[in-house]
Amino acid sequence: MPEGSTEAGTGTQRRTPQWGMAIDLDRCTGCEACVVACASENNVPTAGEDQAAKGRTKHWIRIDRYYEGDFPNIRVRHRPVLCQQCDEAPCEPVCPVNATYQNAEGLNVQIYNRCIGTRYCAINCPYTVRFFNWYPPEWAEPLGLQLNPDVSVRPAGVVEKCTFCVQRIKRAKLNATAEGREVGDGEIQPACVQSCPAEAMVFGDLSDPSSRVARLANSRRAQRLLEELGTKPRVFYLERAD
Amino acid sequence: MQSGHAPYKGVRPPLMLLLFLAAAGVLMAADQPLSFSHAAHIEKARMQCTDCHSGAKTRDAAGIPSIRRCMACHQFIATDRPEIGRLVAYWEKQREVPWLRVYGFAKDAAVQFRHAPHARAEIECARCHGDVASMTVAVPTVIHTMGTCVQCHRDNSASDDCLACHY
Repeated sequence: MPEGSTEAGTGTQRRTPQWGMAIDLDRCTGCEACVVACASENNVPTAGEDQAAKGRTKHWIRIDRYYEGDFPNIRVRHRPVLCQQCDEAPCEPVCPVNATYQNAEGLNVQIYNRCIGTRYCAINCPYTVRFFNWYPPEWAEPLGLQLNPDVSVRPAGVVEKCTFCVQRIKRAKLNATAEGREVGDGEIQPACVQSCPAEAMVFGDLSDPSSRVARLANSRRAQRLLEELGTKPRVFYLERAD
Repeated sequence: MQSGHAPYKGVRPPLMLLLFLAAAGVLMAADQPLSFSHAAHIEKARMQCTDCHSGAKTRDAAGIPSIRRCMACHQFIATDRPEIGRLVAYWEKQREVPWLRVYGFAKDAAVQFRHAPHARAEIECARCHGDVASMTVAVPTVIHTMGTCVQCHRDNSASDDCLACHY
């Protein structure tokens, strides 16, 4: 939303939030509850055996595993990897049809109608968190009945990725507007954040210095994934240095 | 990054298909199971749209009323009319009336529309739905394209971010 515009139906000026996320790797146990919650919230289908064998599975969020040491003295580290919503996103400039761009709230947007399926963005993403739909999505009956009506089912031939659960952001904003207040810190929980039993993930407004996510992002433990590429991700990983 | 978007330039060939489907919608709407008259309810009986489409101002979907809502009045009102007789037949079979949808977005349009914020912005129902108040069976007289949505959003300084609707 351009500067100075208003939310529909309020007429009041409001600060544009800058969404971001902090993930505490010292808390993450790699249970993959976030992966399941994400697939269920965002209508992400399973690929099926044949397609999975070709590496065509879709996970808007995945758990990367890192092994340290040699067996049997081995230590596993887990890192949930989702779209990093980069400020300097490598996926954006390569799209020939502007189907992906960063909006005013810092979300790296994917517009399915615009996407013509060149897959340049997925190839250029260093985090490999963009997925091409090789086939129309299918759900074995009766799983089709559990689809989330607030999220489009993406057709074949387009690229899709994590949206920071934009439908939940929108819903929280609508509820807040209807009640004549601002969205509170912690009110918006993407499915992954909500489902994390270790409460390792925090979502919120990075531009509000008092928000939990902004304080965590400024922590000395905070790092960003492949920061050296200059992508300026909005996902902060917290890990003790040792 | 918004500035990189080409301005929308009216109806383009793929939209002709949508227009055709909208025209087909007119034919479908004429085949409603009962010839419900909006005019009789709004102009004559002085009802409000939200008396039946109860979510139109507060929820995502305006909603189509249950037959219970119809029967709350029509147990007593105009019970001698033949169309009300057909309504009662559904009621006695404990069936909902299988109304056909008049307005809506195609699945592949990937549009997430919410009524509530539009009602808060005091957009009249007729702006998108035409003069339903004087129609008998509702027909889609307003063609919804992305152009109509975006133009209205810009005129009212609402968001013209793609993500405002497409997600």
